[in-house]
Amino acid sequence: MIREIAWRVFAGEYNDANKDVSGGGERSPSYVVTPLGAKINRLFVVGVLTDVENVATDEAPMWRARLQDPTGTYHVYAGQYQPEASAALAKLKPPAFVAVTGKSRLFTPDSGGTYTSIRPETVKVVDEGLRDYWILDACRSLKKRLEALREAYKMDPVTKEELAALGIKPPMAEGILAAVEHYGKVDLSRYSAMLAEAVRYLLPEFQPAKPEEEGSAPDTASKAADAAQEAREQTVLGIIGELDSDGKGASWDGITARAGKAGVDKDALEELINSLLDKGLIYEPILGRMKKI
Amino acid sequence: MRDEIAPHVEDITRALGGKVSELEIEKELSNYVNVYRVSLDTAKRSIVKKHGGNPAHLSLGIAKTIRELVPGENSVNLLARIVSVNEKTIDSENGARTILYGILGDATATVPFTAWEPLPFEPARGDVVRVANAYTKEYRGQVQVNLGVRSVVTREAPDALPPAPVGTGGPSPAAARATPVKIVELREGSSNIAFTARVLGVERREVDVDGGKKAVFSGVIADETAKSQFSAWKDFELRDGDVLRVEGAYVKSWRGIPQVSFDERALVKKLDDGALPPMDELGRSPRMWIEDLSERGGGVDVTVRGILIDLKEGSGLVYRCPECKRVLRKGVCRIHGEVTGTPDLRVKAVLDDGSGALTAVFGKDLTEGLLDKTVEECIAQAKEAMSQEVIRDDLADLLVAQPVEARGNVTSDDYGLMMIVDQAKILKVDVREEARAMLEELEGPA
Repeated sequence: MIREIAWRVFAGEYNDANKDVSGGGERSPSYVVTPLGAKINRLFVVGVLTDVENVATDEAPMWRARLQDPTGTYHVYAGQYQPEASAALAKLKPPAFVAVTGKSRLFTPDSGGTYTSIRPETVKVVDEGLRDYWILDACRSLKKRLEALREAYKMDPVTKEELAALGIKPPMAEGILAAVEHYGKVDLSRYSAMLAEAVRYLLPEFQPAKPEEEGSAPDTASKAADAAQEAREQTVLGIIGELDSDGKGASWDGITARAGKAGVDKDALEELINSLLDKGLIYEPILGRMKKI
Repeated sequence: MRDEIAPHVEDITRALGGKVSELEIEKELSNYVNVYRVSLDTAKRSIVKKHGGNPAHLSLGIAKTIRELVPGENSVNLLARIVSVNEKTIDSENGARTILYGILGDATATVPFTAWEPLPFEPARGDVVRVANAYTKEYRGQVQVNLGVRSVVTREAPDALPPAPVGTGGPSPAAARATPVKIVELREGSSNIAFTARVLGVERREVDVDGGKKAVFSGVIADETAKSQFSAWKDFELRDGDVLRVEGAYVKSWRGIPQVSFDERALVKKLDDGALPPMDELGRSPRMWIEDLSERGGGVDVTVRGILIDLKEGSGLVYRCPECKRVLRKGVCRIHGEVTGTPDLRVKAVLDDGSGALTAVFGKDLTEGLLDKTVEECIAQAKEAMSQEVIRDDLADLLVAQPVEARGNVTSDDYGLMMIVDQAKILKVDVREEARAMLEELEGPA
């Protein structure tokens, strides 16, 4: 049996998938097909672990973890049949940079909807450098699919032969055919925007400046305003850190009260929180609670 | 003309069970062949069909030389020499079966063949065979001979076919039509190809072939695209560094890696040194994507960049049988039973570059380097922990999810690709620089 590729695919694309295919036979692998034609049996993802909890019993635990990349969140489930991954997840304390290799899963509950998840094979704590490397890999992969699909959408009908003539290898061509058949022609601009955003995520010139990195800002007034905004954000960040005594995050009410005392009104606070969320400095582990990353 | 056509007229009549007269068939056949210029093979089949017969009942093929073969012929007769022959097990609807594949040659050219049914004798390199009712197909742009249920293969005396012409008289007619390829495009089973490459190294070996020893000149050649092993079955006086133009070579594979062979049928010319980049440049290991390697079946001295996704069973401290070097399981060798093993260190890891995956095997020296520990230190550590697994755990901590650049030979079998790693290094990539380049590509220069 040839080993399945470990796809580097962004959560934003993976979670859009609602189609799975299987080879038919009893032991043949199954795949989740994304709208861009990634035909995924195995994934390799690196992101920020924001949340891990046992959603079953102590005797037969089922660990659910959330892993965030610049485009969205993966849901990782490990139970008794993934002993190594379960043991690793049980020990992890978010936030952490984590690499997960695992199998793709598509779940369609009776209540409707389709949800993708990952059944992990290995879980490992890594560093920011690897996370950035992974984002670059995932960008390359997404770019390749976007380019292939732009060509494929010009064909009517899309055929393997024509794709092969463009140098697209048979495994990728199969994924594209399956995607076009199921999803039709999707709006590619959504994914090109996702790609551009992910690439920018890697570049400091597109990040909100940190205080110590400032210096070349041409306009002193705006620089001062930025610095003031930055200072207020730091205040809020500090409050969230202090209030998060039990590791579950700071409650919204607590933050509002403390911020009020520090002279930040509710509207300004909301703006600051949104900015911090955007910068990825905090996240919302459960509704109404904020936590530092 | 009439004499040539007569046996085929008889063949058609027989296939139709004698319900149409020979005279009528002769008229029809001559009409097809001479007026409509249809090939004899097609003509025969059409006539049989037209009269309600089954073309499969035709038994007389059309004798051809290999050079004359075109794709889509249904009953071809050949007198050829087996240039190479190999066995392969394939999965079919009725379970696993063994087929033969290799290369046939005559004085005009060589052609790949596949025998889907067992032959009545054990075929060997050098055998002269008479093939009746073979069919041809096109595979990757090349004619291929297929031997199926209707085909009859018999072994002939070695002198039934004149020995291949000695390459003094210039190119054989076939070489004139050789297909030009780059080294990276070499595919198992291709024949009559032409390429330009530099000899990176060559040495003379003696090999046993039927009827004695033969000298073969083998080594590594390269062009700008890739390296390949080669075997020259004639002394073309090749020297290290020579730039060659070879026309009329063929491709066999060794453990999945395509490698080029040529013999006295080929035209070999030495070119100016400037025709290709210098030795040190061509000697570099080309970087390749795993999907391209799996399409080719492997590669010589290639470089792959990817992530070590998983550590496989049998990585770490292992003990090998002193007799056969197999890894022991619980102190027992599969062949030699209970033995005192010799310790060794190795890593078998899955290296995945997003386009494909291969098994990367790191030997003792590389593994010692990665761990920064000797085998002896590992043995001591395992004793203390009372488990060999500690070494594996150390390796997993170090290597899993690690981007690496690995260089070595890649072979393939039914389980996929395998690289015997020569050199490896932890990959440091300037992510920002590459991201900027990608952004520029997406949005145009800033």
